[in-house]
Amino acid sequence: MSVSGKIGEVDRWIEQLSRCEPLSEEDVIQMCDLAKEVLSVESNVQSVRCPVTVCGDIHGQFHDLMELFNIGGPSPDTNYLFMGDYVDRGYHSVETVSLLIAFKIRYPQRITILRGNHESRQITQVYGFYDECLRKYGNANVWQYFTDLFDYLPLTALIEDRIFCLHGGLSPSIDTLDHVRILDRVQEVPHEGPICDLLWSDPDDRPGWGISPRGAGYTFGPDIAEAFNHNNGLDLIARAHQLVMEGYNWTTNHNVVTIFSAPNYCYRCGNQAAIMGIDDHINYAFIQYDTAPRKEELHVTRRTPDYFL
Amino acid sequence: MLSREEQNRCFVPVRRILDNEDLKLFKEGDAYKLIDSFICDLDEAVKDKPISASIPQSSSIEHVLNILDRVGEIKQENPAIDNMGSRFGNPAFQSFYDQVYIETPKLHQVFGIEHNAAMEAGRYFYESFGNRKRIDYGSGHELYFMSWLLILKQLGIFTKNDYPALVVRVFVKYVELMRSLQIFYTLEPAGSHGVWGLDDFHFLPFLFGAAQLVNHKYLRPKHVRDPEILEMCRADYMYLGYVYFLNKLKPSVSLRFHSPMIDDISAVKTWSKVNEGMIKMYRAEVLGKLPIMQHYLFGHLIPASPGMSPAPQDGDDSEVTHVHSHYADCCGIKIPSAISAAKNNGSRIPFD
Repeated sequence: MSVSGKIGEVDRWIEQLSRCEPLSEEDVIQMCDLAKEVLSVESNVQSVRCPVTVCGDIHGQFHDLMELFNIGGPSPDTNYLFMGDYVDRGYHSVETVSLLIAFKIRYPQRITILRGNHESRQITQVYGFYDECLRKYGNANVWQYFTDLFDYLPLTALIEDRIFCLHGGLSPSIDTLDHVRILDRVQEVPHEGPICDLLWSDPDDRPGWGISPRGAGYTFGPDIAEAFNHNNGLDLIARAHQLVMEGYNWTTNHNVVTIFSAPNYCYRCGNQAAIMGIDDHINYAFIQYDTAPRKEELHVTRRTPDYFL
Repeated sequence: MLSREEQNRCFVPVRRILDNEDLKLFKEGDAYKLIDSFICDLDEAVKDKPISASIPQSSSIEHVLNILDRVGEIKQENPAIDNMGSRFGNPAFQSFYDQVYIETPKLHQVFGIEHNAAMEAGRYFYESFGNRKRIDYGSGHELYFMSWLLILKQLGIFTKNDYPALVVRVFVKYVELMRSLQIFYTLEPAGSHGVWGLDDFHFLPFLFGAAQLVNHKYLRPKHVRDPEILEMCRADYMYLGYVYFLNKLKPSVSLRFHSPMIDDISAVKTWSKVNEGMIKMYRAEVLGKLPIMQHYLFGHLIPASPGMSPAPQDGDDSEVTHVHSHYADCCGIKIPSAISAAKNNGSRIPFD
């Protein structure tokens, strides 16, 4: 199977998904196979050129993803880098992750999609994506195809060799970008070790490494980030993973920025979302936005959950 | 009242569920039976009891309600601060938590229990308002609160006669208090399933709320779709009150999209079936889920099962230590048996 022979098919998928209509199971199988092909050749530290717009967590909020494209510019006219957590929690994880994968297949150089801690079998079985796949497809096959594909997502990205992007944060096992490059990423997210840390860690105001209250990854202080940036010739680290009220948030010495792109998270948190636009000269600016106006689908079929049969 | 000797065997509860093997031992052990039967007994006790019902209210119930009033005052004494750091979750919650922690021993004096018993009960109590470090809240914290009530019952503070009031007075007041804390300190939903769970923060209002409606003459599960009925009946029935609250809180989408589980459940024919389903769901989705139960605490009165992992070294903290583990089989993905044989400690899921 080859991508170039399937462009018409992929365009049809994009058109269908843009209307928030999930693909058939057969189309999902094909799409995941094509995506594995595209993602297999990408580096653990995927190189990205400017201009590019960097995005944080989406968590299945499809209409807010559409709002993001309204504000940041449509793909592929605008280049995008998404830092993971496409699924879980929101109502439309299936449509959200399908659309981003379809864009990746269709325009591989214009969109970069990284792995988040939620792109994992264990996490999606708990936090909603598994339930959604079961409900929308009637079985878990589609969940299986997606979670197998998630193993192929790059762990990090490097913009113009100066801005390091990833979902979570740093690892005590990783001092240089070459340490990231040599990891074998095609696996379920392990519970410990460098891959786990890159997807789970959080920055902290306290110096040094700390135990993460999440139970995976570490907290890292401003001193750790500064040393990492210096050793790798970086200007800053951009990451996602944490809900922040205004959509983006700098650490105290401005070497790590958190970007969160799911406005009104869980439809209740009342937070803004943000994206970071980076121009040709590597100047960056944040664009904040609120939740999208809704137009609701009309069809309603209720399916009694198993517990209530 | 539990004997002095027994009370003196109490100790500050600690975490003992660290992996799936521990969770399995928990589900087979005495603690699970204690918790499950307590929840089921409370469920039975509130059948057909609207919140406005006249029910016996003992002095013990009064004491607990006063304790919750005091927690509400502590909230007022620790106003949310200007969140310049912009992180979700207001840091003033930590001051609130610290003050509840400091006052917990004094708040338990009214029960006349021994020091060790107060220490055991106290930890479930002060942990039941949210996690200090993460500034979040979820159904695990709700379970701490129920565990606090269970321990007070074991200490002899409550009898079965108190059970209706424990739900329609005490638990209702706790949920109201928690809602105000969630909003006041912008607590983050802990371990939320998002729209695919019942709610981001609470489970038991739906379970007990369904019990209240079991033999109602007119109201049916489908009436949760009717805004007028929700408005009329929300004060008396937790389930309807909570759905009303969710609709107000999430106005940008309908029940169908912000709570598809609740919407699906509205097609179930009877409240009895809804109530049975809620109990099954609670067992599976709260008591049976490692991300939630790995934070659960065990002491003398709610004991760990024999064979469970020892308490982590940071047992008195809410922080979670790392457990190095691999699993032999996850969703059909095998790993080399030499590795799994050497390293298999069961698997655990980090808390989102």
